[in-house]
Amino acid sequence: MPELAKAVRAPKAPGRPNKFMAYLRKYWFIYALAIQGFLFMLVFNYGPMYGIQLAFKDYKMNLGVWGSPWVGLEHYRRLFSDPVFLQAFKNTVLINVYNLIFGFTFNVFLALMINEIQFRRLKSVVQTAVYLPYFLSWVIFAGLVQVFLAAPTPGDVGGAVNQMLAALGMETVDFLKNPAMFRSIVVITGIIKTAGYSTIIYLAAISGVNPALYESAAIDGANRLDMMLHITLPRILPSVAVMFILSVSQIFLSNFDQIYNLYNNFVLSTGDVLSTYIYRISLGGGGTEFELSTAANFLLNAMGLVAVVGTNKFVEKMDVMGIF
Amino acid sequence: MDSNNKQPRRSMRQALGFNFYDVFVLVFCIGFALVCFYPLWYVLIASVTPYEEFVKGGLMLWPSGGIDLQYYKTIFSNSSLVNSMWISVSKTVIGTVLSLLVTSTMAYAVSKSYVKGMKLLNVLVVFNLFFSGGLIPQYLLYMDLGLIRNYWVMVLPGALNITYFIIMRNYFSYSVPSELEEAARIDGCNDISVFFRVIIPLSKPMLAAVGLFIAVIQWNDYYQYMVFIASKPLLQPFAWVLRRILTDQTMMSQVRNGAMSLGAQLPPPMALRMATIICAMLPIMCVYPFLQKHFAKGMMLGAVKE
Repeated sequence: MPELAKAVRAPKAPGRPNKFMAYLRKYWFIYALAIQGFLFMLVFNYGPMYGIQLAFKDYKMNLGVWGSPWVGLEHYRRLFSDPVFLQAFKNTVLINVYNLIFGFTFNVFLALMINEIQFRRLKSVVQTAVYLPYFLSWVIFAGLVQVFLAAPTPGDVGGAVNQMLAALGMETVDFLKNPAMFRSIVVITGIIKTAGYSTIIYLAAISGVNPALYESAAIDGANRLDMMLHITLPRILPSVAVMFILSVSQIFLSNFDQIYNLYNNFVLSTGDVLSTYIYRISLGGGGTEFELSTAANFLLNAMGLVAVVGTNKFVEKMDVMGIF
Repeated sequence: MDSNNKQPRRSMRQALGFNFYDVFVLVFCIGFALVCFYPLWYVLIASVTPYEEFVKGGLMLWPSGGIDLQYYKTIFSNSSLVNSMWISVSKTVIGTVLSLLVTSTMAYAVSKSYVKGMKLLNVLVVFNLFFSGGLIPQYLLYMDLGLIRNYWVMVLPGALNITYFIIMRNYFSYSVPSELEEAARIDGCNDISVFFRVIIPLSKPMLAAVGLFIAVIQWNDYYQYMVFIASKPLLQPFAWVLRRILTDQTMMSQVRNGAMSLGAQLPPPMALRMATIICAMLPIMCVYPFLQKHFAKGMMLGAVKE
C-alpha cells in the first residue's frame, strides 16, 4: 500500500482523514479478516430486511416490494382475527411451558444424577449415550418415532410398540395421529434429544466445587443426599437460574425442525406452532399469504428481541457470560 | 465432565459403601442412557434382520437369523438416493470449509475489541441471532440474487454461522493466552504473523471441533432445499430424501418398486425406513467419538467465565 501511504501523508490533507487513514493502516489486517464475514452478513442477514415492509404493505408481484401500496396495520388485524394463528400461538406457549416444567427440571435432575455416579467408566459410558441424540437430526428422530409408534397399515407391520401391543392381544394405538398425545410426544422426544446436552453446563459448574467441602461435610456426618442438596445444588443454582431466564425469554419461539417433522394434518389442532404456521401459510402447503407470514414473523422477532435484550442484563450479572 | 476430570469424592466412596442411594442413581442413569441408545440399536439390528424374523417382533438385541443386507441393496440401487448422498457430501464439505473460514476470521477480528468498530460489528452480528427478515423477505432476496432453485442456496446463506461466531469469539478473547501474543509482538511479529504463527496453531483443536459441528449441521440440513429449491430432484440432499421416505407414499413406492426390478420381493416400508435412517446416521456415528471429545469443552468455551 505504498501509494496510499504517500497520498495520506500529502501535506494538504486535512487532519482528520489523515488520522483515520493512519488508523486503518495500523489495523488493516484485522479489518481485512472481518471483511468477508461482514459482506456475508450484509447480504444474507441484513439483505432480506428491506422485505419486512411487506408486513405493512399489500404485495403486488408486478409492482415489487418497494412499489406496493401501504396498508398500515391491516395484516395484524387479520392475524389476530385468524383462529389458526391464535391456536398456533397458544400451542407454542403451551409446549414451551410444558418443556419448562418437565424438560427443564429433568435436565437439572439428570445432571445431579450423572454427577452422583461413583464409577468413572460407567459415568463416561452414560454420558456418551445421552449426548448422542443431540447430533441426530429431527428427521432421523421423526423416523425413530415412526419406527416405534406408527400404527399398522395394510401391508405394513407398524411400529415396535404396536407390534408388541398386537402380540399381547391388545388393540393397537395410532399415537401419531392422536391430537391429545401430540404435545406429550413433542415434550418427551425433546427431552430425549437435548437432556444430555443440557447437563453439560451444570456438570461444568459442579466440577468447580472444592472437594474439601465434601470431606468436611462427611466428617460432620452428612450423607450423600445431604451433600447433594446442600453443596452441589447451591453451586449450580446460578447456572440453573440463568438457563431458566433464557428459556423463559424464548417462550414464544418454537422449534420448527421438531414440529415440522413430527406433526401431520391430524394433529394440527394441538401441534401447529408459530414457525410451522408462518411456513405453511406462505410457501409450504400451497399457501400464498406472503404478507401475513411476514407480519407474523416480524411480530415474533420483535417480541423475542425485547425479551432477550431484557434478560441479557440479568444474565450478565451472574457467572455466565452474556451473549453481547 | 471428561475422563480427565478428577472425581472429588473418590476416597469417600469406600467409606460410604454401596447403598440404596447408589442403586437409585445407577438405575436412573442407566435407564435414561438406554432410552437414548436403544432405539438406535433396535433400528440397526432390525434393518439387517430378514423379514420373516422381523415380523415376529421382539427386542432385537442381536441379529437373529443371519445378517440380511437386502434393504441396503435396494437403497443403493436407487439412483436418486445415491445422487442425493453425493449432493449431501459435497454441500457438507463446501459449506463447512466456507463457513469455518468466514466465521473464524471474523470472530478473531471482532475479539480484538480495542480496534475501532469491532464492538459495533459484534452487536450487528449477534443481533441476527434474534432478528431476521423472515421467510418471504429471504425468498424475495434470493430470487433477486438468482439463488432460487440453485445449488448454492444450500451453502452461501449460512456461511456466517452466528452461534459458532459467538463461541469462537469468546475462545479468542478468553482462552488464547494474551501473554503469548504479547511475547510474539516483542519478538517483532506484526498482526499478520501473530495470526498465522500464534493464533492459528493454538486454535487448531478448536477449529477442528467447530468444523465437525458445522459439518453435522450441514449434513442434517434439508430446510434450505425444501424452501428455496423444492422441486429439483437432482439437487435433493439425503436428509430430504429420508424425510420423503418417511412421509411421502409415492417416494416410498418408487423405492420399493425399484427393489422389485432387482428381482427381490417387495420390501416392507418399515424395514426400508430403518435402513434409510441408518444411512443418514452413519456419517454422524463415524465422527461421534471426535465430536464427543470436544463437545463438553466446545460448549463451555462460550458459556462460563474463567
